[in-house]
Amino acid sequence: MLGWLLTRLVGVVLAAWLLASAVFLLGQLRPSFAEQQALARTDEPAAAFSSPGQVAASQQALRQRLVLDQPAFYVTRAAGPPVRWQWHGLHNQYHHWLRGVLRGQWGRSLRDDQPVLEKLAPALAYTLPLMSLALALSTALALGLGAYLASGPLATPGRVALRLVLTGLQALPLFVLALLLLLLLANPEMLDILPAADLGNYDADPSSGRWLAAYFIRLALPLLSLVLAALPELTLPLAAALRHELASPYAVAARAKGVPARRLVWHHALPNAVLPLLVTLTGLLPALVAGAVVVEVLFALPGMGRLLAEAAATQDYPVLIAGVLLTAGVRLLALVAADLLHYWLDPRLRATLA
Amino acid sequence: MPALAEQLPRLRLVSDSLLELDYQLRPQAKWDNGQPVLAADIVFTLKLLYCPGLPNERARTEMGFIKDCRTDPADPRHLTLICQGQAPEYQWAASDFPVLPESALDSAHTLRAVSLPELRRGAAASPAVAAFVARYRQANVGRYPAHLPGCGPYRLADWQTNRVLRFERKSEWWADKLSAPPFVLQAHPRQLQFLIIPDATAAALALRRHELDVLPQVPAPLFKQLQQSETRQELAFYTTTSYNVVTVGFNTERPTLRDKYTRRALGQLLDPAALAQATQQVPGLRTASILPPTSPYYNDSLPLPAYNPGQAAALLRRAGWQRQADGHWYRAAQPTPLALDLRYRSDDAMLSTVGLQLQQAAAQLGIAVTLWPTEGTLLAQTLQAGNFDAYVKMTKGSPFVLNFSPLLHSQAIGAGNLTRFSNPASDRLLDAIGVEGRPARKRQLLRQFQRLLRDEAPLVPLFMLPNRLVADRRLRHITPSGLKPGYVAAAMTWAANTAAGR
Repeated sequence: MLGWLLTRLVGVVLAAWLLASAVFLLGQLRPSFAEQQALARTDEPAAAFSSPGQVAASQQALRQRLVLDQPAFYVTRAAGPPVRWQWHGLHNQYHHWLRGVLRGQWGRSLRDDQPVLEKLAPALAYTLPLMSLALALSTALALGLGAYLASGPLATPGRVALRLVLTGLQALPLFVLALLLLLLLANPEMLDILPAADLGNYDADPSSGRWLAAYFIRLALPLLSLVLAALPELTLPLAAALRHELASPYAVAARAKGVPARRLVWHHALPNAVLPLLVTLTGLLPALVAGAVVVEVLFALPGMGRLLAEAAATQDYPVLIAGVLLTAGVRLLALVAADLLHYWLDPRLRATLA
Repeated sequence: MPALAEQLPRLRLVSDSLLELDYQLRPQAKWDNGQPVLAADIVFTLKLLYCPGLPNERARTEMGFIKDCRTDPADPRHLTLICQGQAPEYQWAASDFPVLPESALDSAHTLRAVSLPELRRGAAASPAVAAFVARYRQANVGRYPAHLPGCGPYRLADWQTNRVLRFERKSEWWADKLSAPPFVLQAHPRQLQFLIIPDATAAALALRRHELDVLPQVPAPLFKQLQQSETRQELAFYTTTSYNVVTVGFNTERPTLRDKYTRRALGQLLDPAALAQATQQVPGLRTASILPPTSPYYNDSLPLPAYNPGQAAALLRRAGWQRQADGHWYRAAQPTPLALDLRYRSDDAMLSTVGLQLQQAAAQLGIAVTLWPTEGTLLAQTLQAGNFDAYVKMTKGSPFVLNFSPLLHSQAIGAGNLTRFSNPASDRLLDAIGVEGRPARKRQLLRQFQRLLRDEAPLVPLFMLPNRLVADRRLRHITPSGLKPGYVAAAMTWAANTAAGR
């Protein structure tokens, strides 16, 4: 068991390293946004006063500062014909980056020259509570609604309506859902009850109850969007699995023995029906650190989703690679955790592994 | 810096290629730590631009024309900037940089040992300079602005990336003691908060809920929507013209586009009136040149460009094209029919509207236009390398710099001259405009240049983009402007003119 776990963890590290290296090397194929930003305005009136020589000198200084003047990798291909492969030794951008990462130095953002971790930390501190809260809320709701859907005849008006609503929600893209909520609940012409964007409440003391209340009010709309978006994919398969379990012989036997319906659902059927839910949940775990771009952009939240999306759009590779590594790491670890949980929950798997 | 000087400097031409600007700093100007703002601070700031390893490349390029700086031993507030070239715009441009305090960043006066020309030449590898750069980076003033005393009216109180910038008014500021402070040295709000809301709809809702006071750069559809909303009574709407113009440019090095008649013919297929209406929802922003009609240098005798497919066909025939039986246009020695690849930024709906209009109009005339929406960075690179037939983009302008050399001079090919337009007469005109200081003569030259531009048509201006701003009606005395905020000379001149006009 321990050996299996170790092998899996080594695999995780290797896969994350390969992924980050791929992002790094692919990034070298693109023109650098940082360079253009730092030296922009070649076609603006203000450029009238700088000579081409000055622009070239500044460009060189910039490339030197960002270590962009070195070759990208240990070997590079010189444009042919004839195509030649050239060995550069250790003086290359990839080596520079890898050495930094191994020493715990993630580099600096190409956009604002801030250390990458200093950029990631606040975004993560914002995203993690929000996404955890959303995930916990939607899981709890899914369990409740799933049990309700499974514990009686399907054709009752309540269950039909709930299924219709859930199916409808599943069909709605997140941005439409979030926009609808925004236009419905933060609109002076409709219901004007929630703030439109998280504009921050910097007056109250962060430890006070008022601050916490303000925090939840500001997060109400993003949370609602996230929970409503995740709910159908968690609830509907769970309900189906529960119905399947409740129709199985052991459930019939339990019912015949007089086990109350509630207890039957929660104690007998749920442990068996929860496996598909686990798979879906592990699929959602990376979002804990990756954030939700759509919701963060719409509600102006300073989270990881926006940070990474902007890093990708502006080719800020140090930030992007750290984000990719983090997200990939969590995803790979989530897969390991899912395997472990399966192993723990399903005695049949223990037999195969042993 | 210009706000720290008592007035905009006088120009003094030296020999035939240098220009001297004389500044007298305000005696009241003080840093937050109580030290006076002196000429030494300005020299120090200019030297910072040439310290290797600091993120100063952009400023270095923009301020590269300042060759040297002379201080006055008798008066620590008097200094002279020596500029390479004799552009009259230096009067504004030369001082447009923020000044940093020498006393706080370099109390040991390390940089005084090296002169500005030495640093410019790259003689900066001295250990003293390297040690200074290391100290500067260590202070991390970009992240912790509190480490850096300023001399403006506001203090950066709070800052979260991608979220908020909050400034608080300093209780004591040197300019408060001026008897008649100019417009830009008046700072009334106690607090300024800049909020970053990426989504325009959410921003508009926040404005309507009075969570915001001012919403700048409102897109045209949203502006109209706000004007029709129930809350319009509580909002004030402002539209000002900018100097930014939407242009279609042609790659003048392409064999098919080398002659002006083909370019002019294609220009006649664009419908600026309909495009302005469709994308800006207002008709009256058309222009015949790259200057707005409101500019005193605008050539008002040029007719506005208009959609005219008949004339386009006539111009094509004049350029030697013949429409063949298959409906396409062919020319002697060119085996392929006339066709066009049009590039524009993929994330701008307005530009794609222009592309679609041209595509449709050209198709009716038998010219295939292929649209290439391209990601911004890649587009910039593609255009600079000349790998395109035509582009649509917004060309930025400024009311203060009337030098179009970066856009159209043959020396700017490979940099800002994306159309790769090269014409000796135009180069001569641009050179003359660049150094002309007399307004009347400058106007004459610019009018000539606009006529030449219209005739050669390397780029076709479509319409000026307006600046739209919506504010809460509770906010009084708003003077909207498309200029970037800050203590730059352009903003000061604008402010002075606005104040005089009121």
